[in-house]
Amino acid sequence: MTELTLNEKRLLTVLAHHKTSDPRTLADEMDATEDAVVQYAHLCDERGLAVLNRNVSVTYRLTDEGKIYREEGLPERQVYNSIEESTSMKDLQKHPLSKIAIGWMRKKGWIEIRAGVVTRSGDAPAGEDEKALADPASATPEAIKALLKRNLILEEETVTHEISITPAGIALVKAGLDLTEETGTLTREEITSGAWKDLRLRKYDVHKVPKRIYPGKTHPYMRLIDEMREILLDMGFTEIYGDIIQSSFWNFDALFQPQDHPAREMQDTFFLDLHRPVPEDYEKVRDMHESGGETSSTGWGGVWNKAKAEECVLRTHTTGLSIQHLAKNPKPPAKVFCVSRVYRREAIDPTHTPEFEQLEGFVMDDGVSFRHLMGFLKEFYRRMGFKDVRFRPAYFPYTEPSVEPEVYVDGLGWVELGGAGIFREEVTAPWGIKCPVLAWGLGVSRVAMLKMGLTDLRQLYRSDVDWVRESPINRQE
Amino acid sequence: MAVITLPYRYLEELVGTDRETIMKRLPMIGADIEREFEDHADVEFFPDRPDLFSTAGVARAMRGFLGIEGGLSDYEVKPSGISFTVDKNLKDIRPFLGTAVIRNVSLGEEAIESLMSLQEALHWAVGRGRAKVAIGVHDLDAVTPPFRYLASEKKRTFVPLDFEKAMTLDEILKEHPKGCDYARLVEDFPLYPLIVDAEDEVLSFPPIINGELTRVTTETTNILLDCTGTDERAVRRAVNIICTAFAETGATIESVEIDGEQVPDLSPAERRVSVKECNTLLGVELDAASMAGLLRSMRFGAEPDGDEIIVQVPCYRGDIMHDWDIFEDVAIAYGYENFDAGLPQSFTIGKPHPVMKLMGTVRTIMAGLGLHEMMPFTLTNERVLFDRMQRERSDAVLHLTHPISEEQTVMRTDILPMLMEALQFNQHHELPQKIFTVGDVIENTETFQKVAAVSTHTDADFSEIYAIADALCRELGLDYSVQESEDPAFIDGRRGDICVDGKKVGVFGEISPDVITAFELGQPVAALELDLRAVPGRL
Repeated sequence: MTELTLNEKRLLTVLAHHKTSDPRTLADEMDATEDAVVQYAHLCDERGLAVLNRNVSVTYRLTDEGKIYREEGLPERQVYNSIEESTSMKDLQKHPLSKIAIGWMRKKGWIEIRAGVVTRSGDAPAGEDEKALADPASATPEAIKALLKRNLILEEETVTHEISITPAGIALVKAGLDLTEETGTLTREEITSGAWKDLRLRKYDVHKVPKRIYPGKTHPYMRLIDEMREILLDMGFTEIYGDIIQSSFWNFDALFQPQDHPAREMQDTFFLDLHRPVPEDYEKVRDMHESGGETSSTGWGGVWNKAKAEECVLRTHTTGLSIQHLAKNPKPPAKVFCVSRVYRREAIDPTHTPEFEQLEGFVMDDGVSFRHLMGFLKEFYRRMGFKDVRFRPAYFPYTEPSVEPEVYVDGLGWVELGGAGIFREEVTAPWGIKCPVLAWGLGVSRVAMLKMGLTDLRQLYRSDVDWVRESPINRQE
Repeated sequence: MAVITLPYRYLEELVGTDRETIMKRLPMIGADIEREFEDHADVEFFPDRPDLFSTAGVARAMRGFLGIEGGLSDYEVKPSGISFTVDKNLKDIRPFLGTAVIRNVSLGEEAIESLMSLQEALHWAVGRGRAKVAIGVHDLDAVTPPFRYLASEKKRTFVPLDFEKAMTLDEILKEHPKGCDYARLVEDFPLYPLIVDAEDEVLSFPPIINGELTRVTTETTNILLDCTGTDERAVRRAVNIICTAFAETGATIESVEIDGEQVPDLSPAERRVSVKECNTLLGVELDAASMAGLLRSMRFGAEPDGDEIIVQVPCYRGDIMHDWDIFEDVAIAYGYENFDAGLPQSFTIGKPHPVMKLMGTVRTIMAGLGLHEMMPFTLTNERVLFDRMQRERSDAVLHLTHPISEEQTVMRTDILPMLMEALQFNQHHELPQKIFTVGDVIENTETFQKVAAVSTHTDADFSEIYAIADALCRELGLDYSVQESEDPAFIDGRRGDICVDGKKVGVFGEISPDVITAFELGQPVAALELDLRAVPGRL
């Protein structure tokens, strides 16, 4: 048994004299508050050294209105007393309390009303409610209910306590309790003078769980995003960031996505009532689409429409930012990444949101090849905690060859995670980029759901504040 | 992505080996097995490989991939003697026609279904929903050549497929299911496309519907293929894919004369590719002979010629646009699982972006002040962004032209309303709630960053949020001053504008009870918002 606190010991000592007492008496003797005494008694009760009995009694108190009516009588009584054997309705209504009284008088059967004439009926004996008003303590429950309903009395709960000492308590007191003062927090004097050595330091109960406090925190999803950013920064990648609004030129055309591609339709993409002019070298991209330019490509054929390329959209991927970066920096080496929000025209449901994070990385250098792309993917996924990665052929409009990495997840098997490929020459040639560009991307929200065990994508963006508060900063896999 | 049904028995017959062997290797050619059933599998192929949208096409590819048969499939085409004329008036309507005669077809129920599904898949992948390409298949023996593809009067009549009585072309657009679906492709033209035979019988009303007259059944042995559209390349490709698929199952292809030219031309296209370029791109070291062998297993014709390979590209491979498209086939044949995945030697030093760095700093400061981060959406609506905040609607806000719901119609100009919404979502959770968000906003088409914070509990007040605003500005190195604010979202006399260099860059104070109740809340809320463009040394 842990040691008794000084206050518990003091209570028992005092209680031993009284055997049974109330908080008021004990508080006076102990020079403490009644609340404090109840607290100490509770602790002693837990140890079986005392018994704390709690009684709740209900008392009634008159409201101000109730007090008035106790003095002057209920409205119906006042009005009843003021009228003759019979009166006209008109005259009756002259009484200030008539409005309340008439209803009650009729209810109680004290009056009859016929053809505008009010006649007394019976002798209106004193009712239970009137007796209750005079003396609530002796009232019937129905009368109390009636008065409560009319807001003439209020119900009050009074809590009283009774504290008694148990035989175990008595025995303990008899054995002798050390009532020396205990010290809680030390003062500067006590510490520096060495006086603390002679003081009795109160012992605290290490088994008592403390109140929970929380540090301020970044969002669990943001922490995951930062982990992924760290991986890429560690691998020597430079981060880019950019406009949410993109022209179709950079979001689609520069990536060799044909102008009649379904993804460019209103259904899938958020179009804006905004136009941005195509850049200076746009003809090179136009030529790519129409005939393949100077490369071995046939292009898509047809006629490329400049106006269509100037229509703006909310970016559907961050690849538009990547190609803009490459266009400005065509000389190798380049290792670049971006983790940002992208937008797709999709209704909100447990696995879809119109905006979500995408991670994209690319490597441009002399001598990099498809096998290096696989190497990057393996390394990146390994650092994310996926040791088993395998590759399958894939298709993306702006890469060739393309590849789909799959990672092995316990309980789910092989899961496709993202896509990758080498940028088609039709994408890089217009900007004078001579080296292959290895590129990959993945949906970060999807990874988050996998790693955080979520079933509903909306939890990331419409977060439960308790979830944010509770998510440990050091996440266990 | 197109999902194709592959019946096992038929697949085994065409490939020449058992289903287990085939299905095991199928994904590695570029396919996603969706579901496997007792007698068939539903498999998804990529939209750039419409030649795989039929069991015959898949079997052709797998015979190569499994080493059963390699190199080019030879498609012999003899002239049928039949001719087809194209009306010049179709030039601005639907100018291109592809056609072929296919003889000795044996069509079981399964084969007819497979044909229809191939048609639909081609319409989707190549035809852009029939706009670019529309395919019609006819029982040749029900009509008389020569055929004419002409621009017709709208009151011309015929009996469309599945109906019993003759209807005018306009009636078909209004009353036939396919008419309703595709009317928009032709309804604006003065004349409608029509295919008729020598006796003026109607074969079809492209791209809408065929006539009942030429309906293809299990009895049909000779087919006339029609393919009309607005893109010549796409039309040819569709014809090639269908003809070669039929040829794979034993039918004979015969050409038709259009304007002096015999179509279809199923001969391969030739490309010369560099062995070195392929090795460099893929990161392998294949000699010309091995590379040619790999290409043959992908059903190309391939002959080494010095340090080049002369490649014969089959007529159904419309996805081969660039030399690298051929190199991808080399990689697939080589086997993606056989690549020696490794990192290159290149050395670069990583660097975070200044905007991300700044936002990270803001997060550190706010978390350090005890707040919890939220990551709300950027898309919102004007009710939440302005009305509920008691603020005037602004012209600077960016609207979506076709929102998907009333809840997401604009991009946020401020973050504070999103945090009020977050408190609303969390109204049944314990207090205190002290949350913040740092992220993108768009004003006047410019993307930039703001930070906002709200604190709600029974004692949330002006001095609490002023202290937080002051700490945030100090830690960011902002030399700021405060003026009385007029922002209607806050209580008059309990709000301040944060100013830097004489310009308002932020606001803080006690949120107005009108705003609090508009978000279904009841406790006091203290809030702040700061435009991070004010931070010195940013970008």
